[in-house]
Amino acid sequence: MNPVNQYYQTMTRRHFFRQGAMGLGGAALASLLPKSVLHGEGLLGGAHGTHFAPKAKRAIYLFMAGAPSQIDMLDYKPGLDRLFDTDLPDSVRQGQRLTTMTSGQTRFPIAPSKYQFEQHGQAGAWVSELLPYTAKMVDDLSIIRSVHTEAINHDPAITYICTGHQLPGRASLGSWLSYGLGSLNENLPDFVVMTPTWSGRKTAQALYNRLWGSGFLPSKHQGVALRSSGDPVLFLSNPEGVDAASRRRLLDRLARFNERTKTRFGDPETQTRIDQYEMAFRMQSSIPGLTDLSDEPDHVVDMYGPEAKKPGTYAASCLLARRMIERDVRFVQIFHRGWDQHGNIPEDLPNQCRDIDQASWALVQDLKTRGLLEDTLVIWGGEFGRTVYCQGKLTRESYGRDHHPRCFPMWMAGGGIKPGMVYGKTDDFSYNIVENPVHIHDLNATILDRLGIDHERLSVKFQGLDVRLTGVEEHGPVQALLA
Amino acid sequence: MFEYRTVRHFCAALLLVSGGVWSQAMASQALDFNRDVRPILSDHCYACHGPDAQKRKAGLRFDQEQAAKADLGGDAAIVAGNIADSVLIERVLSEDEDEVMPPPEFKKPLTPDQIEVLKRWVSDGAKWDNHWSFEPIVRPVPPTIEDDRWTRNAVDRFVLARLTEEELDPQPEASRDVLIRRVTFDLTGLPPTPDEVDQFLIDESPDAYERVVDRLLRSSRYGEHMARFWLDAARYGDTHGLHLDNYREMWPYRDWVVEAFNRNLSYRDFVIEQLAGDLLPNATRDQLVATGFNRCNVSTSEGGSIKEEVYTRNVVDRVVTTSTVFMGLTFECTRCHDHKFDPLTMKDFYSFFAYFNSIDGEPLDGNRKEHAPILRLPSTFQTQQIERFDGEIAALDEQVQGAWKEVDEAQTLWEAGLVAAQEKAKEDDPGALVLNDWYSVGPFGDVRLYLLPRKHGPEGKAIDLKASFKTSTDEIVKWQRRAAWKDGVVHSDLKGDTAANFVYRVIESPTEQRVKVSLGSDDGIKVYLNQKELLSKDVSRGAAADQEFLDLPLKKGKNELMLKIVNYGGNTGFYFSLVDGASALPKEILKIVELAPNARTEEQNAQLRGHYRNKESTFPALVAAIEQLKSLREKRSAVDREIPLTLVWKERAEPRKAFVLNRGEYDQHGEEVSRRTPGALPPIPEGFPNNRLGLAYWLTDESHPLTARVAVNRYWQQLFGLGLVKTAEDFGSQGEPPTHPALLDWLAASFRESDWDVKALMKTMVMSASYRQSSKLTPELIERDPENRLFARGPRFRLDAEMLRDQALAVSGLLVERLGGSSVKPPQPDGLWFAVGYSGSNTVKFEADKGSDKVHRRSLYTFIKRTSPPPQMSTFDGPSREACVMRRERTNTPMQALLLLNDPQFVEASRALAERMLMEAHETDSKRAERMWRLCLGRYSTPEELSDLQAAYQDELAFYRSDLTAARGLIGVGETSVRSDVDEAELAAWTTVASLLLNLDEVVTKN
Repeated sequence: MNPVNQYYQTMTRRHFFRQGAMGLGGAALASLLPKSVLHGEGLLGGAHGTHFAPKAKRAIYLFMAGAPSQIDMLDYKPGLDRLFDTDLPDSVRQGQRLTTMTSGQTRFPIAPSKYQFEQHGQAGAWVSELLPYTAKMVDDLSIIRSVHTEAINHDPAITYICTGHQLPGRASLGSWLSYGLGSLNENLPDFVVMTPTWSGRKTAQALYNRLWGSGFLPSKHQGVALRSSGDPVLFLSNPEGVDAASRRRLLDRLARFNERTKTRFGDPETQTRIDQYEMAFRMQSSIPGLTDLSDEPDHVVDMYGPEAKKPGTYAASCLLARRMIERDVRFVQIFHRGWDQHGNIPEDLPNQCRDIDQASWALVQDLKTRGLLEDTLVIWGGEFGRTVYCQGKLTRESYGRDHHPRCFPMWMAGGGIKPGMVYGKTDDFSYNIVENPVHIHDLNATILDRLGIDHERLSVKFQGLDVRLTGVEEHGPVQALLA
Repeated sequence: MFEYRTVRHFCAALLLVSGGVWSQAMASQALDFNRDVRPILSDHCYACHGPDAQKRKAGLRFDQEQAAKADLGGDAAIVAGNIADSVLIERVLSEDEDEVMPPPEFKKPLTPDQIEVLKRWVSDGAKWDNHWSFEPIVRPVPPTIEDDRWTRNAVDRFVLARLTEEELDPQPEASRDVLIRRVTFDLTGLPPTPDEVDQFLIDESPDAYERVVDRLLRSSRYGEHMARFWLDAARYGDTHGLHLDNYREMWPYRDWVVEAFNRNLSYRDFVIEQLAGDLLPNATRDQLVATGFNRCNVSTSEGGSIKEEVYTRNVVDRVVTTSTVFMGLTFECTRCHDHKFDPLTMKDFYSFFAYFNSIDGEPLDGNRKEHAPILRLPSTFQTQQIERFDGEIAALDEQVQGAWKEVDEAQTLWEAGLVAAQEKAKEDDPGALVLNDWYSVGPFGDVRLYLLPRKHGPEGKAIDLKASFKTSTDEIVKWQRRAAWKDGVVHSDLKGDTAANFVYRVIESPTEQRVKVSLGSDDGIKVYLNQKELLSKDVSRGAAADQEFLDLPLKKGKNELMLKIVNYGGNTGFYFSLVDGASALPKEILKIVELAPNARTEEQNAQLRGHYRNKESTFPALVAAIEQLKSLREKRSAVDREIPLTLVWKERAEPRKAFVLNRGEYDQHGEEVSRRTPGALPPIPEGFPNNRLGLAYWLTDESHPLTARVAVNRYWQQLFGLGLVKTAEDFGSQGEPPTHPALLDWLAASFRESDWDVKALMKTMVMSASYRQSSKLTPELIERDPENRLFARGPRFRLDAEMLRDQALAVSGLLVERLGGSSVKPPQPDGLWFAVGYSGSNTVKFEADKGSDKVHRRSLYTFIKRTSPPPQMSTFDGPSREACVMRRERTNTPMQALLLLNDPQFVEASRALAERMLMEAHETDSKRAERMWRLCLGRYSTPEELSDLQAAYQDELAFYRSDLTAARGLIGVGETSVRSDVDEAELAAWTTVASLLLNLDEVVTKN
C-alpha cells in the first residue's frame, strides 16, 4: 500500500477513536481525506463501522412506483361492500385536500374492492386473491398498514420517500448507506438499481435519476443502474476490436505512466486512480459473472416464475438482486412501475400483481434458504396509497382510484424485523390511520436502524443544515417492528 | 460539508499526539471569536439558544452578545474574564447527565478541545464580534513581507503571511509547460496546442506569461468555460425537470451567460440584468433574456397538482437560489421557522419571497417548451423573411380580394343558379344540408393516459358557445369561431402538446337522414353527435383525409357535431368532409344569396365574395393566386416555428400578496408581509424602488457585505479547487469561516472598486505567484494540509466532466468551435431516457444527433435532461441541474475509468487523434508518438516515456496485424468515418496509444 494512504488510514482510525462520541465527526472528517483512503470502510466509527451493532448488513428495496391500491391488496375493508356507490362521509374526509384530478368531482362514491380476501399465517393477515404468493409468506413479513406521507403527487412523493425531501437535490437512501457504511466488496458497486418492465398500462409514471442520486454527497455514492440491454453497467464492455488481453496491456502501461506521475507530483489521487482502473478491470469480469444466470439451477429459476430468465423483467431483477446480495452488494433497489391506476383497476392491477407477487415471494424464500435473510433487510412498497372513493366510472366490476397519502401499506422482512406481524390500522374506509401511524421518515429511520445507523447521527452539512435522510422533525425507528 | 475547524482539530490532534508545533501555535495565538468560538456556539448551542425564538430554551441565547452576557437573576451564562462565575463553562464541564450542556440527547457533545477554547475565550475577556460575513467589506492593507522575492502581487502577500505564520514555505513557480496547460484550462476549459506551448517556452520577455493570460481572456472559449460554472449555480437545464420532464426552450439564456463573460459584462450588471433586466428602463432584448435566471427553476404540470402549492414551490426555489448564489445565505431553513443559526427570520424569508412572487405567468408549465412569459428571438434574417412574407401575403391577398371581372360575372351566375335551385328545392325537397361554421376550444392538457378517456372542457355538457373552461393549468379558454376553416382540407392550427382540443359545428338537416363523412385526426379522436358518442379511437398518427368514415344519423333540424382531437405530441389537427356527393353550403351564405343584391350590406357582400372566390370559383388565375397565398402562409409559419424562444421574467401589473406561511405550508397563511430585505442586512438604499430592480441595486451596493465576497470566493474556488470560504454556498455561521479573511476582503473590495471587472479579477488571481506555484506535494504537506487550504502549493485536481470531453475532442481535432445555439445530443448509450421517462413525455426517447457540427461541440452545449442527465457529465460529478450547485464534488471512481476507456465518443476521439497525427506526415514512429504526446500533454516527453509509447505501438501493431477484423472494429467506432487511405492495423494501434494517452493521470488532471 502506498505509504500516504497507509498513513491516512492509521490517522483516520485514531481520529475515530478519539472522537468516538462526536457522531458526525467521522463523516465530516471523511471529506477531508482522499476518498480512496476510506474505500471499504464505513465512516461511522465503532467496532462495526456503524453506530451500533447492525441487524442487517445489506438491503433490498422493492419499490412499487405509482402507488399500489392498498384496498385491493393488503388493507381489507369488508364493510365497504354494502356502501357501494354511496358517498364517502365528510366526517371521514375531514376536508382533506385532494388532487385536482378529483377535486372537481361532484361526489366521492365508495368503490369497494371486487377482490376476495382471506386470512393467512399465524398473525391472520388479510391478503387479497391478487397476491397468492405474498399470502403464503405472511409469516416472514411485517406488514405495516399505516404508513403515511404528506405529498399527494407522484414526483414530490417518490422524491420524498427516496431522498427525504420533496424537492430535488438531496441524497437518496442508498447513497446514504454507501456513504455511511462503505463497501463490502471490491468488485461491485455498493448501490445497484434496476428498473424492470411492467405489465399494466404502458403509460406509467416516470422515474428520476435523483431517486438513486447522491445529491450533495460525492457521486461515487450514487446508485449504479444495472441495465437489461446493452452493457449491464454503462461502458462496461471494451470497444469493438479490443479484447481482454489488449485491455490488460493498456492498463499495465497506463499504470507505468501513472506511477511516474505519482513520483513527479506526489499526489495520492494518482494512486487512487491506478486503483480505480484496476477495479474497473475487475468489474469487467465480475459483472458479467453476476448477470449471467446460466449457473442457476432450474428449481431456483422456476421458483421466481416463468419470466425469471427474461432479461429486464421484475422476476429477473429479483433473481439478480439475490445474486448481488450473495456478492455483498450493500443495497439493491428495484423500481417496478405501472401502479398508477386512476381508472379501471380490474384491468391493470391483476397484471401488476402477477408481475411482482411470485418473484417477491421467491426472493424472500431464496434468501431464507441460503441463510441470507437473517442479515438482509427486504422492503416492499410504493410512494403513497389510493382512495377508497372512485375516480371515473364506477361499477362493481370497474373502478379507479386517485392518490391517497394518508395511509398505505408496506412490508418488511429479514434482517432484524419481527416476522409474522401486522402493524398499524386504518379506519373502515382505509382513509385515516386509527392506530400506530408510521411516517415515511420513521420507515427510513427503521431501515437505517437495522443497518446499524442512528438516523439522527448520519448527517451532512448542506446549505447550513445538518441534513438527514429523515428530516428535521422528531422521527425514529418503529420499535414494535424490531426483532 | 465539514468545518475548517475540523481540519484544525484534526491537525491539532495529530500534532498534539506527535508533540508538534501546532499546539504551541494555538496556545500563543489569540483566539478569534468568529473563527474559533462562534462555530462552536453555533453548532452546539444555537439550536436551543439561538435566533429561533420558538425553539429557544430558558430564554437564553448565544447569538447576541448582550443576551449571552445578561444577568439572569444573579447568574450569567458568560461573565467576561471569569470562568468560575460563567454558567456556560460550569454546564459544559458538568458530569451530571441532567446538567451537562449540550444535553446528551442532542447528540452533539463538545470535544475537550472545544471546551478548552471556550474556557480560554471567557478568561481572555469573552471578546465578541459580529458574524464576519455580515460586517462591511473594508479593503485591508496587504501584509508587509520582509522577503518579497516570491510574491508577485498583493494576493501573495496575504498567502505568504499565513504560510509564514504556519511555518510553511511556498513552492516555486511551476514549469512553463505545466503552467500554460493549467492556465489555459482555467481560462478556456481547453488544453493549449503544442504551438502555444512552444511559443511560451521560447518567449524570454518578462511579460511572456501575462501575454498568454491576455490572449486567453480574449478568446471566445473563455466565456464558454466561465458560463458553465454559472449554469450549475443557476440550475440551467433543457427540460422542465419534474414529472413529464418535457423539453424547455431556454438555451438563449445559456448563450447570454456565455456572451456576458466574453464581453466582460461587469458583475454588477450581470446581477442586475439577471434579477431585474425586465425592470430596467428601455430594457434591451438581451437584458430580457438575462431574466431567464429566475426561470431556470424546475417546474411541473403533473396531473392533479395543486396550483397554489406549485406556485409556492417555484417562488421558494427562486428565493433560495437567489440568496444562495448571490449572498451565500441559507435561506431555505427560514421557510418553516426562524433560522437556528443565523439572524434570519421567517418574516425575512417571506418578505424576500414578496420580491419574486409576482411573475405574469402560470405556475404550472403545461408541459410546454414555451412556458409563459416567454420572449421570441427571431434572427435578423428571420425577421426579414417574416417581413418579406408578410409583404407578399398582403399584396397577393389584395389581389385575391381585388377586381376580377370574370370572376364577379361568374359569381352572379352562380348566385342566380343557386337561388333558382333553392326555389326548386323548396318545391320538391325540404332543402339542402347546411354546414355552419366551425368553432374550437382548447388545448386541455392532461397526462397522456387520461387524454382520451377523461372528460375535458365541454365534454358531457350541453354546448354553450359562450362558456369558458378552465384547463389543467388553470388557464381560461373559450370557444373560438373558425370561419376560415374550409372542409376537405387538414386543419393543423390547433395547439397543445399532450392535450385535447374540441371542434364543433351545427349541421342543419332538412330531414332525418344519414350522411356519410370522412374524418382524419392527429392523434386520437372522439366523435359526439347531439351529445352521443359515435366513435372513440386511440391512435397516434398525423391527420389526413379518409382515416375514418362515419355515418352521421342526423335528425331533422339542428344537429350538434363535436369532435375531440387528442394530441400525444408534436402537431395536432383534423380533417372533415362530406362524402358520396353530399353537398352543403354554409347557412349564412345561403341567406345572403337569398337577399336582393341591393339589400345586402357591404359586409355581406364581402362575405359572399370571399366564399365564392375561396370555395366555389374555378377561375384558373384566381385559383392559382389562392393556392400561392396558401403556400406563402405555410412558408411563413414554417419560418415562424423555427424562431427560438426563451423563458423570461415579466412582472404582473399588480403584485401578488405575500404572507408568512406557517410551517412553510402553502395553504397556511399567516401574517401578510410586504417586500423587505432581511433585517440583519443593510436596507435598500434610499432612492431605489422597492422591487427586484431595487433589490439588484441593493445587492451590488457598497453597503452590501456579501455579494462581492461570495462572488470572488467562487472565482477563487474555480482556480484553486476550494474557496477561501470552503462552503461557497454558505457564508452564514454554519458555513466555514474564511481561511484568509483579509485576502477575501481585499479581493472583494478590489473587485468592487474595479467596477466588478471579472476578467481583471481572474487576471489578478492567475497572475499571482500563489496560483503559479508548482503543485508538487510532499509527505509533509499532505500531513499538514491535505486539501491545500493554505495554498502552500499550486492547485492540482481532476478536470471537470466538460473539460475531459472537450479536451478529447480538441486534441483529436474533432472539436467544432461554434458559439451558441440550441442544445445538441451527442450519442449516449441506448435506453437511458426510456428507463426512467414518463411514457407521454417528449423526452422519453433519446435520439442522438448526427453530424460533426452537432456531436462534436463543446459539452456546454450538450442537452441536459434533468431527470436523466448525460452520463458523460454525471459520472464525473456534473450536477443534474435540478437545483442550484455552487461547487462540485470531485470523485475518482471505476465508473469514470470505464467511461474514459470505452465510451464510443472517447474511442472515436482516440481514433481521430491517431488519424490526425498520421495525416500530418511525421516521418518516424518516434515523431508520431511525440506528436500525440504533445497534443495531449503539451510538454515534451522524456526518452523513457517516448520509448514506452513506441513499445505500446509496436505491441498493438503486432496484435492488429494479426487480427485485421479487430482493427476494423476498433477504428469503426464513432460518428466520423475513417479515411480510406490509411493502414488499418497502424491506425488501430495508434488509436490504442491515443486512448492510453487520454487516460493518463497527468492528462485527466490539471497539474
